[in-house]
Amino acid sequence: MDTLQVILSGVLLGGVYALFAAGLNMIFGVMRVINLAHGELMMLGAYITFFASDQAGLNPLVSLPLSAAALLILGLLLQFALVERVVNQPLLSSLLLTFGLSTLMMGVALNLWTANYRSTAWAPLTGNWDVFGLAVSRSRFVAFVIALLVTGGTYLFLRRSTFGKAIRATSQNAEVAQICGIDVRRVRLVTFAMGSAMAAIAGSLIAMIFTISPEMGRMFIGKAFAIIVLGGLGSFVGALFGALSLGVGETLAAYWTNTQLAEGVAYVILLIVLLVRPSGFFGRAE
Amino acid sequence: MNGKCLASGTNDLHEREALSSLYNRRDLVRRAAALGISVPTLVALLGTGANAQGTPVGDPPEGDPILIGASVSTTGSNGRTGLYQQEAYLLWEAQKNASGGLLGRPVEMVIYDDQSDPTTGSRLYERLITEDEVDLVLGPYASGVTLAAAQITERYGYPMLVAGASAGEIWDSGFQYVFGVYSIAQDYFRDIILNIAPAQGYTTAAVIYEDAVFPLSTGEGAVAHCETAGIEVLVEETYPLRATDVSSILTRIGEAEPDMLIGGSYLPDSVLIMRQAKELGINVDLYAFSVGAAQPDFLDTLGEDANYVLGPSMWEPKIETTGNQEFLEAYRAMWDRDPDYHAATGYAGCQILEQALTNIGDVNLEALREELLQLTMTTILPGEYSVDETGRQTGHIPLTVQWQEGAKVIVAPEENRTGELQLPTPPWDERG
Amino acid sequence: MSSQVSQIRNEVDSEQASPTRPMPKWEPYLGWIYLVILVIAVAAMIWFPSNASAYSVTLALIVLMTISLATSWNFLSGFGGYTSFGHAGFFGIGSYVGALLLYYERTGWITAVILSGVATGVLALIIGYPTLRLRGPYFAVAMLGFTELFRVIVTSWDSLTLGGRGVFLPIVRFQQVEDGATWWDRFQVQVHNNQNYYAMLVLAVVAMILAYVIGTSRLGLELLAIRDDEVAAQSMGIRVVRVKITAFALSAVFPGIAGAINARQVGFIEPLTIFAVIWSIRAISTAILGGQGTILGPILGAIVLTLVSERVWESDPNLYQVIFGGLIVIVVLFMPGGFISLLQNWGVLPRSRRL
Repeated sequence: MDTLQVILSGVLLGGVYALFAAGLNMIFGVMRVINLAHGELMMLGAYITFFASDQAGLNPLVSLPLSAAALLILGLLLQFALVERVVNQPLLSSLLLTFGLSTLMMGVALNLWTANYRSTAWAPLTGNWDVFGLAVSRSRFVAFVIALLVTGGTYLFLRRSTFGKAIRATSQNAEVAQICGIDVRRVRLVTFAMGSAMAAIAGSLIAMIFTISPEMGRMFIGKAFAIIVLGGLGSFVGALFGALSLGVGETLAAYWTNTQLAEGVAYVILLIVLLVRPSGFFGRAE
Repeated sequence: MNGKCLASGTNDLHEREALSSLYNRRDLVRRAAALGISVPTLVALLGTGANAQGTPVGDPPEGDPILIGASVSTTGSNGRTGLYQQEAYLLWEAQKNASGGLLGRPVEMVIYDDQSDPTTGSRLYERLITEDEVDLVLGPYASGVTLAAAQITERYGYPMLVAGASAGEIWDSGFQYVFGVYSIAQDYFRDIILNIAPAQGYTTAAVIYEDAVFPLSTGEGAVAHCETAGIEVLVEETYPLRATDVSSILTRIGEAEPDMLIGGSYLPDSVLIMRQAKELGINVDLYAFSVGAAQPDFLDTLGEDANYVLGPSMWEPKIETTGNQEFLEAYRAMWDRDPDYHAATGYAGCQILEQALTNIGDVNLEALREELLQLTMTTILPGEYSVDETGRQTGHIPLTVQWQEGAKVIVAPEENRTGELQLPTPPWDERG
Repeated sequence: MSSQVSQIRNEVDSEQASPTRPMPKWEPYLGWIYLVILVIAVAAMIWFPSNASAYSVTLALIVLMTISLATSWNFLSGFGGYTSFGHAGFFGIGSYVGALLLYYERTGWITAVILSGVATGVLALIIGYPTLRLRGPYFAVAMLGFTELFRVIVTSWDSLTLGGRGVFLPIVRFQQVEDGATWWDRFQVQVHNNQNYYAMLVLAVVAMILAYVIGTSRLGLELLAIRDDEVAAQSMGIRVVRVKITAFALSAVFPGIAGAINARQVGFIEPLTIFAVIWSIRAISTAILGGQGTILGPILGAIVLTLVSERVWESDPNLYQVIFGGLIVIVVLFMPGGFISLLQNWGVLPRSRRL
């Protein structure tokens, strides 16, 4: 019974991971940019929710669109001013650039908000619902549902809408897409902005569940890579699968061994997959 | 655009074009100018961190100022608590300078921020002693930083009153110049385990603690006391330093069904544990945390869920010790908020330093050290200041507090009690 | 073999010299110029502690440490183009190996420090073989993963490493100079009191010499070839994997030793701060600021950046990260080749492989 409880916790967590990883996936797919700053974008979203709730008494759920909008704009700016310049350069330039951005943003956040842990909670969302004897954490469940909705919505957008098709075309082959008349610059702008917004929503949801600090981005970026690597690049469904697997894997590992070791699960997965099936990741880059 | 698209698009070509455009000198100059404006603006907006603060209030006494150095974590993961300690140091400095100074000389505090990082702390104390040439030092916040800093103060022979740390290891390491101000970490849960638990008839416990020097000390101390009291420890586990999820440990604790849950923690993790306990429906009769529980922030973050939680406190506003009322009023007047016990211990550290210096009449480090070893006195803290031959504090008496209906109540020891103990903790689904 | 190498070198050198910018006459003697400067600088550094406060010596130690970190990072990541985020991991492992050897009193300190370097070098060989088969970006992500994994292992294996409690090492006991001591005695006391500083000096000098040797040797040429086009390099017969692993192992030794010396200097290490990514950031930002893929670049970058940032650090510790991060962004966008490359573009310095 308790194993089931643990698995449930893991699944709920995996939903939020999936949202975070999906944004990263999209950005890489379209621009071949490894966005190492994705964690910090998420962190900013989390802080927006925190301050909205702490200062303005805003319900965390209500602050979701706020943080998404804010990071949408920031993402647009970042892409326009910085990321666009390294799009056609060697992959390592984008790696270094986003790494620098990540360090910069984390430093700014540390300066502004200090490294203290913050947390926010909406009273009705603390505690749990009893479902067949399992304690379903309310905040995690709500986060799970929202994350799934957003991920699902993005998936539908990519599949059905015209612009979504443009995005997919660009990620398959940017030059051919350009020849066919697609404005790839605009596609890149929108993709990065969308990815940032998704990270922000993930961050806001996480602010409801965990404590946050400026350094949280670093922790999640490793998990995001593990998920993408596990699930396969460019595959939305794959990322979801990878995220759920990671969530469950972590909580089970913590339950069976101890929480210390469970921290390493994401990295072990990342490394094993990279070493055993390296072509599974950046297979389409070269 | 089209031209580029139709070109023999090797990455090479794109790269070269991209790079050559970057190296266009005019472009470069323009961008540099933009940066030159934006970066300083950004920096100015962020503001510079406060380090050395010292604004004497009133007429400063005459003579060369006595420089007292310290580094306190005001940012970093323990910054929220460290700030209280810094405020106390500054309060004392202001009071001294308004009332005749220390040994008739004005006092000047040189305070840096070590960001809760031992390496930084160690470098800062070295800087204080060798560059800033302070006359005296006061201790930092957090045991890890203190251990690193103590090596430096020991090397240069500066006695240090440790007003912000209590891990027993500090006094097992053979230092001669380090003096504790309050009870060691290992004894934090002593009262709860040796007195309260047996009185309530509890026989089992789960002890979990964060994997860092201080929480480890409190946790291991708790386990040792449990042994003495004959209480069985069903689950004993550490969790990582910046854990964000302890649900798996809690699930295991739920299975084991102990009477008590004892957490060796700082503030963030104690909040996390309570919150996740509620989420998972884990119920025990007694919750206790080492640092988190005594702090106002605990209540602010958890609201009603904080009720019934116990914890040790090194000082409380309501106790009747010498000078406590005055301290309280002065602190509130200067900082516009209530002090927590870290502020009180910081202040007490200053009181002790002052008394010792007054006794020897001069700023002499060796004499100071000997004085601190044999001095006994009362401060605003409960009990008295008195150390053993390693500098470990033996005279201080910690209090046990409990949150009841949104207010902190002192439940032990007898002479400081302000209310009755409320146990057992009702299960989550029976609470509001 | 060496004649072939010098033939290639001459061809490359003359090619890089364009008609409008001939290679200056002094270029072939750069190696000797470096040697002279190095000897003078080392002599000054040896003398330095006798006339400086302990804090200044610590500052100088940090500069030397950054030089070692940046220069060694450059071996694989600059010359070879394989950006590695693994320096923090090796730094942490080296710190722990050294600290634990001393904590359990297994060896003297010099042996402990050397063994730390050996340990990280061997570790790099072991993990290098599978990870260096990956392409550049894969490799970077893998090293990020490894660093975190090392941290988790060190934290969990607390029966050996003392876990989150951290390892506490007594720092050097100062000796006093006795009255009537000779010059030599005084010098010995000085060396003893500043032993970590001198150890770091040795490390930095070795790193710089090694950088020159690699940079001007066949290995360096092969690394550059790999950086420019790995597939072409491989098809030209370069043993790509072997070259990469060699560079990787060499580059891992230095953070390992630096970590051990640092542990001794501070006297207390804990997993969270010793594996912090800031150690990688220091190496990377100083190296690319000066010019990755060059010999002088990381040295220049390390000196300039460390001195500047320490001033900032004193007034505002948090601004530190902002500056490093911002610097990386600026360098990547505006001067990917760092200072050296900038100077070369402006015609101030020649495009020599010896720079």
